[in-house]
Amino acid sequence: MSGLLLTLLLLPLVGSGLVFAWKDKSSKYLALGIALVQMLITFYIAADFDFNPTVDSVLQHEINYPWSQFIKSSLHFGIDGMSLLLLLLTNILTPIIILSSFNENVSYRNSFYGLILLMQFGLVGVFTSLDGLLFYIFWEVTLIPIWFIAGLWGQENKRLEFTTKFFVYTFVGSLFMLVGLIYVYNHSASFALTDLYNASLNETQQTVVFWFIFFAFAVKLPVFPFHTWQPDTYTYSPTQGSMLLSGIMLKMAVYGVLRYLLPITPIPIAGISGQIVIILAIVGIVHGALIAIIQTDMKRIIAYSSFSHVGLMVAGIFASAVVTLRGSFTIEGAEGALVQTFAHGINVVGLFYCCDILYKRFKSRDIRQMGGLAKVAPKFAVLFLIIVLGSMGVPLTNGFIGEFILLKSVYDFNGLAAVIAGLTVILCAVYLLRFYGKAMFGEGNDAVLSTAKDLSAVEFSVLASIAVFVILLGIFPQPVITMVSSSVKFIYTAMAN
Amino acid sequence: MSVLIIVFLTAIVALFSGVFEQGKFARYIGIFGLIIALYVSFMPELAFFEKYRHMYDYTANTALFTKISIVTTLLLFFLGGFAFSNHRSHQSELYALMLFALCGGITLFGFQNLVTLFLGVEILSIPLYVMAGANKTDLRSNEASIKYFLMGAFATGFLLFGIAFIYGSTGTFDLYKIHDFGTQNPKNVMFILGVLLMLCAMAFKVALAPFHMWSPDVYSGSPSLITAFMASVVKISGFYALFRLMTIGFAGVTHDWINVFGVFLIITLFLANAMGLAQTNAKRMLAYSSVSHAGYIGLVFFGMTSLSTYNLAFYLFAYSLSTVGVFMCLIWVEKLKRETSFGAFKGLAKSEPLLATVAAISLLSMAGVPLTAGFMGKFALFSQAMNGAAFLVLVAVLGSAISIAFYLRLIVAMFFFKETTFKTSEKVTLTYNIVAVFIIASIIMLGVFPDLFAKQFGL
Repeated sequence: MSGLLLTLLLLPLVGSGLVFAWKDKSSKYLALGIALVQMLITFYIAADFDFNPTVDSVLQHEINYPWSQFIKSSLHFGIDGMSLLLLLLTNILTPIIILSSFNENVSYRNSFYGLILLMQFGLVGVFTSLDGLLFYIFWEVTLIPIWFIAGLWGQENKRLEFTTKFFVYTFVGSLFMLVGLIYVYNHSASFALTDLYNASLNETQQTVVFWFIFFAFAVKLPVFPFHTWQPDTYTYSPTQGSMLLSGIMLKMAVYGVLRYLLPITPIPIAGISGQIVIILAIVGIVHGALIAIIQTDMKRIIAYSSFSHVGLMVAGIFASAVVTLRGSFTIEGAEGALVQTFAHGINVVGLFYCCDILYKRFKSRDIRQMGGLAKVAPKFAVLFLIIVLGSMGVPLTNGFIGEFILLKSVYDFNGLAAVIAGLTVILCAVYLLRFYGKAMFGEGNDAVLSTAKDLSAVEFSVLASIAVFVILLGIFPQPVITMVSSSVKFIYTAMAN
Repeated sequence: MSVLIIVFLTAIVALFSGVFEQGKFARYIGIFGLIIALYVSFMPELAFFEKYRHMYDYTANTALFTKISIVTTLLLFFLGGFAFSNHRSHQSELYALMLFALCGGITLFGFQNLVTLFLGVEILSIPLYVMAGANKTDLRSNEASIKYFLMGAFATGFLLFGIAFIYGSTGTFDLYKIHDFGTQNPKNVMFILGVLLMLCAMAFKVALAPFHMWSPDVYSGSPSLITAFMASVVKISGFYALFRLMTIGFAGVTHDWINVFGVFLIITLFLANAMGLAQTNAKRMLAYSSVSHAGYIGLVFFGMTSLSTYNLAFYLFAYSLSTVGVFMCLIWVEKLKRETSFGAFKGLAKSEPLLATVAAISLLSMAGVPLTAGFMGKFALFSQAMNGAAFLVLVAVLGSAISIAFYLRLIVAMFFFKETTFKTSEKVTLTYNIVAVFIIASIIMLGVFPDLFAKQFGL
């Protein structure tokens, strides 16, 4: 059985090498093929997965090889429910992202697709590694391909400025995480996850470690006030880069908070630090949403909306953690955050793709120059609406259930906080509907509209598959919750002890 | 000691080969001799040399450092054919001088007597003064040579003065006897003064701030291959000598010098990285980067464990590999463009993808990005120093954070410009490509399987 996980890890890496060496023209088919095989393997693992394990066997498909005799760390991988959810997200979105670029006239195609697959390798590694050092290594591995994707195919006149800022910002964050992890490692038996959980640290040490590790996650998520790299990077990256960044990469940090931060440093979370994080997250929710309302660049709107949505996930996770540490065990926040992680990943990829489609029709990212596309592109209008509704969290779409559980968990922590955080639902409707209304029904430029076409086959297949997920998960969210609940319970129990 | 003799004989032969055919053979002789020396360094030392043990002790650690410095020199020799192609008349001297300097380095790896230390330092330095000025017609090269010589002579003064103080207080040159003296008389002022003077002299040799002032000018003025030699082999030699001296000879008075050394490191890490950020010339940037790496390597003195020597060797080897990787790219660009500003690298990825890749991977390795040898090296040093000097690790992390910004600038210049500024007719030679592939493979293999280093070089 363990062979499956090994395949999952190595296929993108080997595939990436193959694609790099492949012919420029046909490399996209090879990349798509590899990504689809990867997706099918993940589906097989999911279908075969034991969702109600006893506590002893939360991990499945475990592989463990010795690595270095000098470092107490091993090549230890495994899948539990939470990993599986994020693996599904990664491996469903990667083929969609590759497919979304089929119509584009990308230069150096083989490098482009090779880098996307390399990124997938890093992401799979992050979500399956059960060793602190390994996690850090894969965490950094994802940074290099996305940096090259953003830098090489990003918007021509802007890419030199924003890529360096993005890289340095996230690299600094990661370095602090490395210091934090090394510190924990020096106080524990090894880098193995369970040993890190059992590290003997007193309150001061835990507080320092908490902030060091949290800094890396706060940059990646991003949490207010570490978000300044994000709007530029999302805006000027190529569409596929923005999709990877917001759809999957950001989720690494949500995963990291749950997998590493909560169980390693419970004391500061129960204390003032946890509350500071919740406050920052809630500030981010409102701040991001308010800024999104006044943006005119559509990719910026999505970027700030993503920033705002992530704030709610963080607030929910930490709210539940604080409530648990105060004595009443609850995992709702984490469950909600994971449901929302999956939903947001799919929605934001859809939204960025819609932006790409709009950009192709209107040759501009400024929403003031758009309008009236619904008349000539009815298919697009419907699918776009479904994705927008999903992002707003309208009932029966995938965004609803996660947001609902998250707000509930914040309410359990503090009623006022929940009221402020709840603003996100209203504000999100304001900026997304404004964007949608302007682009689809606003007053259009007839010259532009006369040449604009409805969706092409590729565009339709990408958007339709996303829309299916939006509705399907909106109606049947329970499988996702079932999938993650046992592993989340394990983490929160480890934290509470 | 047999390795030392082989390298020395090779150097002599290479020097005299200059009589024939304008020194064309010197490089091949050098490569041949170095390969033999590398082979011999894997053998146990002959029993005959046992009697010289009190002057030159060829231990397992000596062998380890000898191996990594020979490998680095070999790589540089492979690059030499292209790098020195405009030195038509005196190639043999350059190769011979590099080998002589290597002899000095190997002497330093096994010194057990302060006289051997002094000899090693001088054998290492004097060829370097000459090599720094190898571009005879270039004023900057002349400046580098004279600057290096004057400052080096000054540092030698410190070194001798320190040795004199130590001899005066202990009455011996032997490292282990000095160690014993230090543990028995930890409060002897003259002894401690000698320790500090020697620390300063060695800090000069490895370019630790505040004794780094010479390095940017010397590095940027010297011919690029020589700069690469200084940044790799000389750094390996200097650091291991410093390491042996401080942790064996002066271990008894550690608390007297360790704080001074810590201050050196803090200054180095902040100053070198901040100055690196301000550079517009890639070669000067690499000079500051080399200074900053001395700062990271210095962490090895804190929280020492039985693995410290191994960590030091690993880091030095990883760093040398990446230095060679970046410099081979720089040599190529310098040759075509006659300058090394960041702008000169624009579009290199398009005309020479392999060269740009090796430079990029080397720079990422220097910055300590995972899956490269540099990361494993940094990780080992950081986790070691975390036990004794968490604050220094924090400083080092901040330093790395700054350094990534200027490493990225070079990568950006090479990769992120669509139009190339290079003529497509000029292609790199086969040797170059082989060295590039070797460096990429080693950096990544060591980054993924760090134990390979121990397996290959023996521990």
